[in-house]
Amino acid sequence: MSDQQFNPSILGFLCNWCCYAAADAAGVSRFQYPPSMRTLRVMCTGRIDPAFVLRAFVEGADGIFSGG
Amino acid sequence: MLTNADFLALEGTAGNFTATINLRPRYIDADACTACGLCTQYCPKHHVDPYNEGLAITRPIHIDYAQAVPATYYIDPSSCLFLQHETCQICVPVCQSHAINFKQQPEERKLHVGAVILSPGFGKIAPETLAKFSYGKHPDVVTSFEFERMTTASGPFQGEIKCFSDGRHPKRIAFIQCVGSRDIGCNNGYCSSVCCMYAIKEALVTKEHDPEVDITIYYMDIRTQGKDFDAARERAEAIGIKFVRAKVADVTPWENRLQLTYATLDGQHKFEPFDLVVLSVGLESPKDAQKIADITKINLNKYDFCATNGFNPLQTSQGGIVVAGAFQGPKDIPESVTQSSAAASLAAASLKAVRGKGVDMKTYPEEQVVAADDEVRIGVFVCHCGINISSVVDCAAVANYAGDMKNVTFYTENLYSCSQDAQEVIKKKIKEHKLNRVVIAACSPRTHEPLFQETLRDAGLNRNLFEMVNIRDQCSWVHAGEPELATIKSKDLVRMAVSKARLIQPLPEQTVPVTPKALVIGAGVAGMTAALNLAEQGFDSVLIEKGDGIGGNLQNLHYTLAGDAVQSHLKTLVDKVKQSKKVDVLCNAELVQTAGFIGNFASVIASGKGKARVEQTVDHGVIIVATGGREHRPDKYLLGKSKKVVTQQELEKQLAGKAKTRAPGSIVMIQCAGSRGDDLNYCSKVCCNHALKNILKVKEINPDSQIVVLYRDMRTYGFAEDAYLEARKMGVVFIPYEVDRKPEVTEKGAKVQVRFFDSIMQEEVVMSPDLVALSVGIVPDDTDTLSKLLKLPVTANNFFLEAHVKLRPVELAVSGVYVCGLAHGPKPVDETIVQAQAAAAKAAIPLVKGYVKVDPIVSSVEQDKCIGCGLCVSLCPYGAIVMQKVDGKRKAETISASCKACGICAAHCPTFAISMGGFTNEQINSQIEAFGATGDR
Amino acid sequence: MGKAMNHREGSVMILGGGIAGIQAALDLTELGFYVYLVEKSPAVGGVMAQLDKTFPTNDCSL
Repeated sequence: MSDQQFNPSILGFLCNWCCYAAADAAGVSRFQYPPSMRTLRVMCTGRIDPAFVLRAFVEGADGIFSGG
Repeated sequence: MLTNADFLALEGTAGNFTATINLRPRYIDADACTACGLCTQYCPKHHVDPYNEGLAITRPIHIDYAQAVPATYYIDPSSCLFLQHETCQICVPVCQSHAINFKQQPEERKLHVGAVILSPGFGKIAPETLAKFSYGKHPDVVTSFEFERMTTASGPFQGEIKCFSDGRHPKRIAFIQCVGSRDIGCNNGYCSSVCCMYAIKEALVTKEHDPEVDITIYYMDIRTQGKDFDAARERAEAIGIKFVRAKVADVTPWENRLQLTYATLDGQHKFEPFDLVVLSVGLESPKDAQKIADITKINLNKYDFCATNGFNPLQTSQGGIVVAGAFQGPKDIPESVTQSSAAASLAAASLKAVRGKGVDMKTYPEEQVVAADDEVRIGVFVCHCGINISSVVDCAAVANYAGDMKNVTFYTENLYSCSQDAQEVIKKKIKEHKLNRVVIAACSPRTHEPLFQETLRDAGLNRNLFEMVNIRDQCSWVHAGEPELATIKSKDLVRMAVSKARLIQPLPEQTVPVTPKALVIGAGVAGMTAALNLAEQGFDSVLIEKGDGIGGNLQNLHYTLAGDAVQSHLKTLVDKVKQSKKVDVLCNAELVQTAGFIGNFASVIASGKGKARVEQTVDHGVIIVATGGREHRPDKYLLGKSKKVVTQQELEKQLAGKAKTRAPGSIVMIQCAGSRGDDLNYCSKVCCNHALKNILKVKEINPDSQIVVLYRDMRTYGFAEDAYLEARKMGVVFIPYEVDRKPEVTEKGAKVQVRFFDSIMQEEVVMSPDLVALSVGIVPDDTDTLSKLLKLPVTANNFFLEAHVKLRPVELAVSGVYVCGLAHGPKPVDETIVQAQAAAAKAAIPLVKGYVKVDPIVSSVEQDKCIGCGLCVSLCPYGAIVMQKVDGKRKAETISASCKACGICAAHCPTFAISMGGFTNEQINSQIEAFGATGDR
Repeated sequence: MGKAMNHREGSVMILGGGIAGIQAALDLTELGFYVYLVEKSPAVGGVMAQLDKTFPTNDCSL
């Protein structure tokens, strides 16, 4: 590895009812985690069209997080 | 909402009360206070923080917690330097919104009300009771309430558990149960009904913090009788939390630790050292119970809780005054929530004639038309949330960054976007800059989206022209140590939101009318109570019963633990149902089919016997499921094989009869027969009380009768504990057995023999009683058919699963369907009645409104693009899409009122014919694109 | 509000703003009644606001 730390760019699809709520709860509890994810709220992970995932990789995402 | 208020007097009668309230001054103008917290920082005086159970220090001028409602600071006069000594006043110039006003005076107010609900909660056990456990003498003995604050991440120690004596992390923690409960020494003979649960919860949370910590819970009986509560106890045992059945005599300091002295069942005295001792303190009657009783003239029971009757559990001795929550008896959150809904239904029924007269309807300005090709004018508001966001994220930089984006016409920062004055600013800016999209970067849309959408409506904008960016809960709070990266993240999130906002279109508000009628399934005590309550609120219902007559399980009961006659009450109830013009009873009836959604169901019901059986379609707006349960008959302990082995229900019937020998000379009762990890995996909640009820009856008829009860945990929670104590005083012998050493029942000639291990004498015992009575559990009545018919989820034990265990205990996952009684879980008659009243309250809400609102973010099908493949119909988990023939072609169509906006249909539609309001493909793709356009990163 | 005597038809007073009082107030409002929620402390919420998590699901209680 180079001395430059890998800082991945992650897009997260979070379900409004569970994972998005959990991410809020993590905030309320002040749990600290790396700031490398950008959140996209959906009403359910069922909304995630595989095309969205491919699109995100095209746009330069290093990883996709799907939480539901 | 009147806070800081004392209840002084009550005059008048039901329907026409006048209450006198004294509003104590807050010394802070609630409308002006922005809850910025500056005053607390400057206040020089210390104040012990009661919210943190005295474990932390705050200032006289403070707010209990960040989410407090109202979100206004207040000054505690007991320690304020100015109010005590007329000095200081530092806070006055510090407050930038000039909210501090020491001139405020108490204000007396009279309220004219039709009904009163008493929900004052519970009080705390006096410290004297805790003294024998060294509480107050040694810092490492804490109450469970204090421990709760210690384990809380947002508490005074950020969830780090330490000994107060020297700050070390405790390696061994003991919980002592029944402190101040089941203790006639402090005149609290009752069981507080919640301590076993919270002790297990706190132990589990502690284990999560530190898996190495050794935890022992000292108990008499573990009373986890609630729905699925036993499973949590088993989970606790599985991760190594120890449960020891013992009575703790005392706790004494021992070197730098604490020594527990306890006595086990077999009479041994033992000692054990611990670092931290948690006292599971019970719930006392509220401190001002007597005062409330004096003012309202209601009766209290001997423990100073509100006295009520088992068949009308929330009605106080005064008409028009009902009770809810722990004041009615110690209870947990779901039961309190259920009771409060039930109390609301009782108050609503008593005031039916004046319903709607006191409510002001809010009006909105006419909605401004935003056409698809109008110029997009976005306003971006970045919130500081006091210092919650701005101490980490550079809010000015984020706002400026947004300002440079295309279509952003206006941008600014707010100290608190949610405050009243900020709402006015937002409204003003919308008008001033002709904004037609609003982006707010603040906290979570889950909590604040409705508030801001309301602001948009007030400003004449469609509420969907709004997008929220979460830069607090999911940014500043979780990246506190990385302000630069958090600022970049905030910018990225704002860029994504602005990009989505460009594509947002107004969505029409939809409402669907409601058929003002209920379908109640099951005519036991639950169904009858619910139907009658709805009738009292003015609504018709169809009550269907699969059996020949109405009455349900109550027909098998004869008396209650409190000594009330069941059959006469049942007769009154049945007569009321039969006489009610608003309840239509169908017997030998079953639900064949249901179509529709909340507000608009159409059900086919078959009723009658043989040739007289007919089918009819009923239109209704809501469904109450009260299908009940029945006695479980295990194929064990010779039940059904020997005449000398009966269930408690059979014994009750025998005792209610006239036979001279109905109360046998000797009885062995076996608790949990077939329950709790046997045929049934759960506790049925009522069996211990049922056994005690029969014991007292037997003793009443035949005082010489000898009774031995073999049990695992006697779960005589609440005031039923009195009966348990009474039975023991009468000489009834209670012997616990272990699950791996269950009693055995065999037949020997004409006799039955019970063989069991006596854990007190530590030896094997054989008895030949006249009768063996089995306390068997409760199973739900065929929930399978109904769960398939109505798409209702059930638990692993086949009871219906409520929408939220704590906060929505009588609602089911399908909108417009409610549950009560044994179909929800095993419970006694009084709790069933309360639950039925609560279900009636919830069911009445759409009926009262007359319409249901549909969130506009539901799916919609573009019929031109739809090829009629039906994939969406098969995938929809809510039955919210149907196929219809349009011009001879199959087309999908969304039932908006049933749609939950999950978007599964949209993600799978092969022709992109389905669109989600507020989450269109274009919008999500634009967000993804904006995610990729990292800009200055 | 603001005047000393509040006279509204179809109103209910709820004494105590803990979880029970709050739930009853919400339901009654939806059922078409005006509610006075009277609480002796400076904020509603009662004891539940002091709890960290709730049994048995360990959901956050705030």
